[in-house]
Amino acid sequence: MFKQAIYPFAAIVGQEEVKQAVLAALVNPQVGGLLIGGRKGTAKTTLVRSAQALLPNQEIINLPLNVTEDMLFGSIDIEQAVSKGERKFLLGIMNRADGQFIYIDEANLLRQELLLAVLDTNEAGFNHVERDGISYEQAVQYTVLATMNPEEGTLSQPILDRFGMYVDVQNEERLEQRVEIIKRNIAFSRDMEHFQAVYAQANAALALKIAQARKLLPTIEFTAAMIKLAAQMCAQAFCAGHRAELYLLETARALAALAGRNYLLPQDMDRAAVYVLPHRMRIPPEQEENNPNQEQEEDTDSEVKEEQDNDSADSAEHVTPPQSPDTEDAPPDAEGQQDGDNDIQPQQEPDKQQTAPEEELAAIDRKFVLPKIVVEMGKNNLKRRGSGKRSITRTDLKQGRYVRAELPKGKVEDLAFDATIRAAAPYQVLRVANDCALNIHKDDLRQKVREKRIGNTFLFAVDASGSMGARKRMGAVKGAIFYMLQDAYQKRDRVGMLAFRRDRAEVLLPITRSVDLAQKCLAEMSTGGKTPLADALAVSLQLLTRMNKQDSEMEPILVLVTDGRANAVEADGGDPVAAAVKMAERLRRAAITSVVIDTESDFIKLGIAKKIAQAMGASYYSLQKLSKEQILHIVRQIEK
Amino acid sequence: MKRTAVYPFTAIVGQNDMKLALILNIINPALGGVLIKGEKGTAKSTAVRALAELLPQMDVVHGCKFNCNPHEPHLLCDSCAQIYASGTPFTIEKAKMRVVELPVSATEDRVVGTLDIEHAIKHGEKKFEAGILAQANRNILYVDEINLLDDHVVDVLLDAAAMGINTVEREGVSYSHPARFVLVGTMNPEEGDIRPQLLDRFGLSVVVVGEHEPEQRVEVIKRRLAYEADADAFIASYKDEQEKLAARIMQARSLLAQVTIADDLLAKVARLSIELGVDGHRADITVIKTALTLAAFNGRQQVELEDVKGAARLVLPHRMRRRPFEEGQLDWSKVESFLA
Repeated sequence: MFKQAIYPFAAIVGQEEVKQAVLAALVNPQVGGLLIGGRKGTAKTTLVRSAQALLPNQEIINLPLNVTEDMLFGSIDIEQAVSKGERKFLLGIMNRADGQFIYIDEANLLRQELLLAVLDTNEAGFNHVERDGISYEQAVQYTVLATMNPEEGTLSQPILDRFGMYVDVQNEERLEQRVEIIKRNIAFSRDMEHFQAVYAQANAALALKIAQARKLLPTIEFTAAMIKLAAQMCAQAFCAGHRAELYLLETARALAALAGRNYLLPQDMDRAAVYVLPHRMRIPPEQEENNPNQEQEEDTDSEVKEEQDNDSADSAEHVTPPQSPDTEDAPPDAEGQQDGDNDIQPQQEPDKQQTAPEEELAAIDRKFVLPKIVVEMGKNNLKRRGSGKRSITRTDLKQGRYVRAELPKGKVEDLAFDATIRAAAPYQVLRVANDCALNIHKDDLRQKVREKRIGNTFLFAVDASGSMGARKRMGAVKGAIFYMLQDAYQKRDRVGMLAFRRDRAEVLLPITRSVDLAQKCLAEMSTGGKTPLADALAVSLQLLTRMNKQDSEMEPILVLVTDGRANAVEADGGDPVAAAVKMAERLRRAAITSVVIDTESDFIKLGIAKKIAQAMGASYYSLQKLSKEQILHIVRQIEK
Repeated sequence: MKRTAVYPFTAIVGQNDMKLALILNIINPALGGVLIKGEKGTAKSTAVRALAELLPQMDVVHGCKFNCNPHEPHLLCDSCAQIYASGTPFTIEKAKMRVVELPVSATEDRVVGTLDIEHAIKHGEKKFEAGILAQANRNILYVDEINLLDDHVVDVLLDAAAMGINTVEREGVSYSHPARFVLVGTMNPEEGDIRPQLLDRFGLSVVVVGEHEPEQRVEVIKRRLAYEADADAFIASYKDEQEKLAARIMQARSLLAQVTIADDLLAKVARLSIELGVDGHRADITVIKTALTLAAFNGRQQVELEDVKGAARLVLPHRMRRRPFEEGQLDWSKVESFLA
């Protein structure tokens, strides 16, 4: 049958650490499940699926991403209801999985509340359902095996915590091993049955090992010394809660049993720590405070300086050469972000940064590294944090994933047939028979509730006028845009850019998700000239309002990067600053979320950008040095 | 409804990479499909639809919704497996491999399959109504503008592509069936990127550009006009070429199992992957599989260096990591020097 078309576990080359983790999870249901992380094409799925052959009496039940709530939790059995008029409970996946394994491929793409339900139900030990007029409760115990590719966004820390073990699959770097992988893969695809026969014995030996380890398991005791060691290890890693110790001990127990011993050794604990601790390490408390939020002195300088430097800049105007490829530029790493913290002062919500849990987490892995425990997660921490923020929106269009059914409000447009049938089923014996098995009344009708993942739309309005730092601003924003678009598949963000200089604002990059288009549009950018701030805001408003009309479910965000020195004379000869403030107020009335990044760096500050920010109702950041990393940092902040 | 005439595959001017990539996937459906990137009007869709005529006949179990292969007991769907287990011989029929289209607007329930509403209402019983993935088993699944596909549909495609199985747990039905398909996608990169997970699922990728030679362009127009003037006559004039190509594909299919590759070539490919730092092992494996298929297409039983080079050109470009400011293009000289 097609489910047996599986590559043999014993034929997987290398990956000893991952295999050991899988075996431990198979042996001991108390380890709290296993999450396997790794980049694409590293045999994550194969590793889990192939484990089925090692379990003669148990099943690895696949939980697909298309699962609906009724199937997961269980619901009314419509066949029983229609034919006998009985309300009988139809078991959901969680009920069916009792004593078995649940496998979730790409767990980070599963709806979070479903994933949480799967993990929490197991933790609680029973599934309690109140649905479709049925109350049902069943004790359940299963082991969750999950995989994820961090490239597509990671799981939130509370969810990671719920997995007992985490292991990272790495590429095989040894040449002979790689060749062997290719050879076996070709052999498998050429003659599956023969290949499986070749490894049948090795697989059987592994199955026996698991069976024996399971027998040994209850005989292994946790000595006081081992419990103390577990507590010490977890304290050192600043694990939250006390689940970690239990997982650590149970994993060590499974490893000892696999080694054929009936007692624990410290080395079992060491090896278990590699699986149990990395994904739940927290920042040490003393380092947490090490993130001072220097409140910048309010710039109250009331003396308005003459607007000077711009006319001279006009003559010096020139076209900047295409930015040289900045290939050394890694994604904004931990260091860069830390620097950013010190430079960026969100003056509207001064304590947000310090208390934001994401912020703390971002700091963990880079500052605190337990020896020998290397987790890939730490490397692109910033990226992953952000990706958790992918917005999920209820949608009224007939698009998106069908998540559950509800009683319709008004006219039914998107009928949930399954829920309607479930609602009608129990009453069929009472209703007048028609030609069909089901007689559906109007009040049985249910409507689909759909959800859709959407990204944010960012419009950068960048001051390209002749005042100091225009080129730097443009370069930094450009860098940030490219980075965000690289990420766009992950975060579904769309980005656009307009620059304002001389007497008008110009759209350099229409709002897009395409890196290719950005590359074409932003290849060269001109700077110099006066600052038509009001016009920039007007064009932004126009663009964003249009976007809103096209896609009402998307929330656009305006990021204005300027030093605030509006000085392009208005057509009616009015004051440029007053015109800009007026425009800013219109943006606020249009309820457009906005951010102002003030790059004013002169000794005497005018604080115009701040005034604009207030008029716009925008978050305000003042930056001394502008860089790609800082812009990205601010953008991430907004997304929260 | 019967579709109107199809432009012959062999009448497409130029675009050799695209044509080769498609042909290789027919010869060896295990290659993992092909992603065709290019601007509008570069014959992407024409080529994929034209493929239909070249597709081989295959044995299927009579009446099976999933086109099960009677000779592959490992890959049978539940109902065919039951028949197989009971010892009754299958009724075998011939069917042509098909191009199954997945429209960008398709909803998840149509893709994976769902509860058969009619059956439920009429008989009060649950029955699985097969979706597009069921039809796609052992066929070509074609997604035009794949980069515009809804996220949750991409998720289920990934799920199915990863395992060759479509597992359905929705709307009251719990069902799974084999879903092994050749994924063919087209996209215009200017309309947004494709998710990296999905990108990696494609065995091969090609970039198509419009022809630049004036003579070639003229030829494109001429043939198109001729086709529009009298499609039947045009198709008839390419009949020979079409048959020749179809025969060559069939030969390659039967030869494929005998093609071998020397160990030093395997090592070269593995070293290349390490050097280029590609993610995972899919790149190595796919280069070799493609090289084997290319050798078969060229009527050889032994893979030569040329085959490996040709394979690398189709397999590696979309697996290179991209950084800001960098075109997603591969430093070809590096590959050349490695494979020298």
